[in-house]
Amino acid sequence: MEPDVILSMRGIEIQFPGVKALDKVDFTLRRGEVHALLGENGAGKSTLIKCLTGVHHMDAGEILLDGAEIRPTTPQHAMEMGISTVFQEINLCPNLTVAENIFVGRQPMRYGQINWKEINRRASELLERFSIQIDVTRPLSYYSTAIQQMVSIARAVDVRAKLLILDEPTSSLDDNEVKRLFKVMRDLRAQGLGIIFITHFLDQVFKISDRITVLRNGRMIGEFDVRQISKLDLVSRMIGKDMNEIFNLKRAEQKRGASVAMSAEHIGIPGKVEDNSFEIKEGELLGFAGLLGSGRTETAEILFGVTKPAHGTVKVKGETVRFNAPLDAINRKLAFCPEDRKKDGVIADLTIRENIALAVQAKRGYLKPLSRKEMDSLADKYIKLLSIATPDADKRVGELSGGNQQKVILARWMATEPDILILDEPTRGIDVGAKAEIQRLMLEMCGGGMAVIFISSELDEIIRCSNRILIMRDGVKAGELPGENCTQPDIMRIIAGEAVESA
Amino acid sequence: MKRRESIFKSKLIWAIIAEILILLVCLLMRPDFFKIEYQPQTHMWYGSLIDIINRSAEITIIAMGMTLVIATGGTDLSVGALVAVAGALALKLLRWDVTVYNTPGDYTVQPFILVLFVPMLVCLAMGMFNGVLIAKFKMQPIIATLVLMVAGRGIAQIATNGKQFTTLYAPFRFIGQGSLLALPMPIIISAVAVLGVSLFTRLTSYGMFIESVGINRNASRVSGIKSDTIILIAYALTGFLSGVAGLIYASRISSCDSNNAGLNYELDAILAVVIGGTNMSGGKFSLAGTVVGSIIIRTITTFVYYFGIVSESIMAFKALIIAVVIVLQSEPVRKWMSSRKNTGADRIGGGVHA
Amino acid sequence: MLNAQRRRRSPLSSLANPKYIMVYATIGIFLLIYLAGAAAYGSKGFRSVRTFMLMFIDNAYIGISAVGMTMVLITGGIDLSVGAVASLTGMIIAYGNSVLGVHPLMCIAIALVVGVGLGLTMGAMIQYLNVPPFIATLAGMFLARGVTSLISRESISISNSMIDAWAGWKKYFVKLQDGEWVKIKPVAYINLNVVLFLVMIVLGALILQRTRFGRNVYAIGGSEQSAKLMGLPVARTKILVYGFNGLCSVLAGLAYALYVKSGWNLALQGAELDVISAAVIGGVLLTGGAGYMIGTLFGVMLKATIPALITFNGSLSSWWGKIATGALLLIFIGLQRIVVVSTERRSKQGGK
Repeated sequence: MEPDVILSMRGIEIQFPGVKALDKVDFTLRRGEVHALLGENGAGKSTLIKCLTGVHHMDAGEILLDGAEIRPTTPQHAMEMGISTVFQEINLCPNLTVAENIFVGRQPMRYGQINWKEINRRASELLERFSIQIDVTRPLSYYSTAIQQMVSIARAVDVRAKLLILDEPTSSLDDNEVKRLFKVMRDLRAQGLGIIFITHFLDQVFKISDRITVLRNGRMIGEFDVRQISKLDLVSRMIGKDMNEIFNLKRAEQKRGASVAMSAEHIGIPGKVEDNSFEIKEGELLGFAGLLGSGRTETAEILFGVTKPAHGTVKVKGETVRFNAPLDAINRKLAFCPEDRKKDGVIADLTIRENIALAVQAKRGYLKPLSRKEMDSLADKYIKLLSIATPDADKRVGELSGGNQQKVILARWMATEPDILILDEPTRGIDVGAKAEIQRLMLEMCGGGMAVIFISSELDEIIRCSNRILIMRDGVKAGELPGENCTQPDIMRIIAGEAVESA
Repeated sequence: MKRRESIFKSKLIWAIIAEILILLVCLLMRPDFFKIEYQPQTHMWYGSLIDIINRSAEITIIAMGMTLVIATGGTDLSVGALVAVAGALALKLLRWDVTVYNTPGDYTVQPFILVLFVPMLVCLAMGMFNGVLIAKFKMQPIIATLVLMVAGRGIAQIATNGKQFTTLYAPFRFIGQGSLLALPMPIIISAVAVLGVSLFTRLTSYGMFIESVGINRNASRVSGIKSDTIILIAYALTGFLSGVAGLIYASRISSCDSNNAGLNYELDAILAVVIGGTNMSGGKFSLAGTVVGSIIIRTITTFVYYFGIVSESIMAFKALIIAVVIVLQSEPVRKWMSSRKNTGADRIGGGVHA
Repeated sequence: MLNAQRRRRSPLSSLANPKYIMVYATIGIFLLIYLAGAAAYGSKGFRSVRTFMLMFIDNAYIGISAVGMTMVLITGGIDLSVGAVASLTGMIIAYGNSVLGVHPLMCIAIALVVGVGLGLTMGAMIQYLNVPPFIATLAGMFLARGVTSLISRESISISNSMIDAWAGWKKYFVKLQDGEWVKIKPVAYINLNVVLFLVMIVLGALILQRTRFGRNVYAIGGSEQSAKLMGLPVARTKILVYGFNGLCSVLAGLAYALYVKSGWNLALQGAELDVISAAVIGGVLLTGGAGYMIGTLFGVMLKATIPALITFNGSLSSWWGKIATGALLLIFIGLQRIVVVSTERRSKQGGK
């Protein structure tokens, strides 16, 4: 065995009822490396992590930590042995102060009492190491998501961790915040910590990690040195198909002489969107690019009546509209797939049928219910059309995978037969196969004459699909590019704007 | 659907089993327990079972609204106070002129239509007040309805100047003491309420919307549901139904009692809903379960009477039976039970969880 | 130098922390109402130390119970059983001593075992069986009330020399006059209940602010899921909180027994509402995660001021008190909403 190995998992097997979640998986983590764990949803990444952190218990195999065999029983037990985890959702207490969040449960004591001065002092010091200078006595909820994420990493590291697991830590961070996180990760790596990094962003994998382990369908596909594998090769190993086959999509032809479906003039809400104007034609796919917090989501929410604009006008088919609630927008044949699927999208405990029928029913009002037959035919039609993987329409949506949940939401809106569809990050957090399918659907609808606004943080998919691309920066429209012949650097230059010069 | 229904059923089934067990013990104690007799003089059916349903009427009626409120993820603590308000207003209107309070009168001062509708409409308005606080101002239901729970009885006392009125006015007494179709009026009224609310949730999409809002309010709003309105309706309806229950209660005792009318009704109504299998955190609801829950609560009382136990001690037995039902319904216990059942099924049927 | 500066500034800046807003609101409104009362009825003696102390004496049992309730509410739970358990305590002491002739200390010990045991049981039901706190403690309330009625349905008076001595213990307020300590006029005093109340408030505050257990209580209220993942002993903490609340209920029952010197099965009906509303008026968030003992102290006092004012007014009927309490609750939940909304907004915009 190599001397610098911290963790080695060998022949891990986990059996769930009816399915083998992990089948003889090996995983090795060295001291001072960032090791990316990749795979589509359902490949077994999270099962492996949960096995390591004591949430699931393995049926076969062994885990060696610093050469000694361990069997973690609970997350707490794993933590005590030096295995720290930072999850995608921030698992801290918003009501406690920043300092306390780092030390709760292991506060330094003096004279049998909690030593608050010590806590605040040590917390400040710790965060300064991450080059964060904030008032640590304020409640955590006072600070942005990025800061909260850093605080949770600070806590994870400070519990004398030997290895750190970062489970999709970057999915709610913008580029600058990601950079900051990577700097912290490099520092920790230099200190000899082993880091397991799980993400959907392949660019980030190549930027930060040293080695990569790929899982597929509960089996280990291979372990690679990051310098010895290409992106394309990696993706095809993850999905087991040739990438070109999946991404063989063509942007919809823009029809000439199509009329304007929707336009916005100088719309905004102070502090969120300052000023945004655009128009979109029927059958056009307008991409919204920009960093997180640049005002893309907020623009979409104004367009759909989720929030009311402070200024500016929105026109649908040339007519000025004022939406007080999403229902008003639906009545003007708009549809909106929100960014946060769990929070704003699915009704987890209702069936697929009910979820699909929801918006149509809302449009009709509760006094004019759809008959059971109508609901059935709606559900069957869209389950087939979107190839939603389910035995029947009676399954709870909460039991579906992320990609299929996204399809159900899409179905909900397609059922209202909208003229204008707004999609906010429809492909985030879903696996590559489902991603391609959703992109395909989007383009088909466009081809059918629908106007589609497509918000995404992934530039390559925006470029691949859009007829035109609108780029936002700090709440203001920063530029517009045609989709054809547009390259990633073109967009990035506009996104960066003056920031490049000043940095 | 099959799997979910079986979970739901198993929740309701424990309530029904509990009810049957209590009834069986009653039967053992009193062999004539199930006997129902028609009395020609009063044109009414009599019997313990009829009595149980009759006396559960107020809670059943209120619990219909409470089911919807709980399905939205809320609670309404003000229902008991509203029962007192309705009774106080009705008696105030009946005896508008009265100066000597303890002499009963067999007339009404204000038109009887006002006696009926003013209390119900005031309670509806109070329910809407709750609904506005919760839906529009996003206040916590427990605390928002605590306001009227505390202040409501004060309002009832101010309406009657702190006095108890008594009435012998026959049309008013008919509500709680009369009979229709040979059944006590409260049974008829509660049947109408159960039927009305069931039809309202089934024949319209209100039922689906309320579950949707209870499970995920944000997502419901984005999907075009006016969740504020949905929630408001639930509280307004509960207020209105509390008013109806208040009239029945006042009519039963031919009087108003601002201190004790509807005392602890909020607790009984919430219990009825929970025993009936509706989750307190909102979402899926069952009106049929609520009716069973309400009848169980009343049966316990009757059961305890038959043992000759003093009235206040009923609470101890209520507590024990409730504890048993709750424990049997609780998630871990049901999981444990179903896992014991399922291990066999899985072995035969193979894996279904993919 | 930098460090020193930071240390010197910290007490002031930490007081300006937004998390204390609700406590300031409670203290502010209390002062406002109290001073208004003092201005209006000062001539009738509202301003006197005696009136102030009587407010304490009349509400000490509510306050003692509110200490435990505050802790339960901070975890995000609720306990409806407190009034019934307090009533049961009074009955155990009264029946045990007056009818069975058991030594009062023994009775108190039994009541403690029963009350704390019931609290722990309810806590375990809530924790391990996922029963909503509202329902579990409702069952606890029914049980305690029912058992009290099973013991006796009549009011039993307590006449025991030790209880009498406890109930009669008073410490008068004195002033130095002509080199001699004399009682101030009108006579004002504190009794054992007031001492117990203040001791419990201090104890509660120490537990909440200075022990890991107390901080775990806040963490659970902030996010139970996170607390679990941070490796905090969630189950133990939650169960112990209900146990501690049981202890407070028993002490409140003892205080009430000393106050009325009897036990009655219908005593303290609806007291749980008074206790909960006192805590809420004191700035405790019903969703959990926020609240301070000092706030609860002022919440109890603020609630006590209303009946006092109505008594001093003389022409208002007592039921206006209920409406005023309702109005106060409305004001406070309104304030809480505003605070929550404004902090949410701030965290969304700022912080970077």
